[in-house]
Amino acid sequence: MKLRATLGYTAAAITILIALLTPFLLMGTFSKGVAALPLHVDEVYSGGPKVRTIPMGAYSIDVHRPVYTHFLQSEKPFVQLDWKPVSALPRHVSDVVDIDGDGQHGVRVSFDVPSDPKAPLLVNVESMNPRYQAMSNVGKDKFSRLIVRVDNAILVRVPLANP
Amino acid sequence: MATDARILPLARPSPRGIGRSLLLTLPIFIWSLLMMGFRPGAKFDPVSSIAAILTALFMTMLFFMMMRSRSTYRWRRIFFVSLGILFPIGFIHNLLVMRGTMGIPIEEMIAGRTPFCFMPIPLLILPAALTRTLVFPGSIGSASQGIAGMVGLWLALTLVMGKGWCSYACFFGGIEEGVAAIPSRAKIRKLDPRWRYLPWAVLLAMVLLSLALFEPAYCMWLCPFKAVSEYVAARNTIGLIQNIIFITLFAGLVVVLPFLTKKRTQCSWFCPFGAFQSIFNKISIFEMKIDQSRCKPCLLCQNACPNLSLSKESVARGETLLSCMKCGACVDVCPRQAVVWHIKGTQIAWKPERARLMFLYSAWALAIMFGGTIIAGGVYTILHFIV
Repeated sequence: MKLRATLGYTAAAITILIALLTPFLLMGTFSKGVAALPLHVDEVYSGGPKVRTIPMGAYSIDVHRPVYTHFLQSEKPFVQLDWKPVSALPRHVSDVVDIDGDGQHGVRVSFDVPSDPKAPLLVNVESMNPRYQAMSNVGKDKFSRLIVRVDNAILVRVPLANP
Repeated sequence: MATDARILPLARPSPRGIGRSLLLTLPIFIWSLLMMGFRPGAKFDPVSSIAAILTALFMTMLFFMMMRSRSTYRWRRIFFVSLGILFPIGFIHNLLVMRGTMGIPIEEMIAGRTPFCFMPIPLLILPAALTRTLVFPGSIGSASQGIAGMVGLWLALTLVMGKGWCSYACFFGGIEEGVAAIPSRAKIRKLDPRWRYLPWAVLLAMVLLSLALFEPAYCMWLCPFKAVSEYVAARNTIGLIQNIIFITLFAGLVVVLPFLTKKRTQCSWFCPFGAFQSIFNKISIFEMKIDQSRCKPCLLCQNACPNLSLSKESVARGETLLSCMKCGACVDVCPRQAVVWHIKGTQIAWKPERARLMFLYSAWALAIMFGGTIIAGGVYTILHFIV
């Protein structure tokens, strides 16, 4: 009984020590430990890793790896394309993009670039490869079919037709 | 475990002397100043300094009153309700300044700038374990609002408090605790004890749904506190339905039912994070015990518990249920000092004030670090508008 009580008080004292160390040491250590885990944010949100950059003169298009969805996820598979920097884009963009990098046209993407960064964006995607779905006047309906401005880039997500 | 009836007097303890209470409060005062940023070389900004001083004094005064009166619950409740009120003020103000709306735009989600609160932690575990994927539109390592930062903080606080998180750290629970404090008597008194199992059912359902749908299902569909923090921007009919659910649940579980029952109904009937956090009471060294040699039982403790963490059976066993959040209501209300703070392994009712002090020093230190900083942010927002 005495040993158990001693252990109890020792643990309580350690708990106070943990509390005092939390802001200076433990919180940072635990956070770094969690950050070091081999985890990544779901690609439906992040858009997946960039695989290629297509130079277009003053601006460029980043092509991301196709994102496939899991289980009962409500989103469809898609591929993300980033136009950047926004400041170098013409008032109207209409580019044919070789998404697969096989020398074949994938899609033609057309959108206006308003000078107001908060103005809504709409995109038209003409499918030139049956792998990609066409889109007409799409804003930001879903994670898998959208056009949005994020920082200094305009992101277009084109849904895959036959994943 | 046998107890010695001579350990505690049956009458309520008299207030502690002012000098001794001040002495016990001194470490907390110094800690408050340290946590509020009063360090050598810290930048001086008049408004934030006033907010920090007010918060440090507020937290110190409450601790002093805990020491002086030897009661915990009502002083902790003042802190907790303040936290519940001031968190939305500071948070919503920041959202409106930074993005002009409480709705999370899809751009912010894609950019990984969705602030991460602790609620989705249990929902992320299975998808992370099975697919190494965090099903949350945030960033992992951002210093202030990243997922790793909040998980690290939660881990440290949980080691210290266990389920005490729900009484000393949760920045949502204070709203319903404040509402529950308004009426003098409960309008609804008979509560079916089976409701206690509902948070576990919600937890199980949300964990499985989060894995199946690959999204933080509770945040997307059921979190009542979206109504006072940030919500999914209503881009379409689904978004509109989600927001209607958030507001309905907030009105029902956080306003109406706490007012009628004087209980924290969202916490005790619905919160999946609270159910998850209950598990960590097993590793916490501090707990509440009931000295059966003193207990009548009058069940005043059961009625006073805001979280339905005491039942007739548990009182008869001399312990609280797993969901106990260490708020101290049961200890303060007991006229025979039968309910006591306890350190596991020690004899029940042997110097319970020592156990209370050891718990309070650790819990209050972290309450100042986490909740105190949030309170200072809310006070800063109010001062910002006044000044």
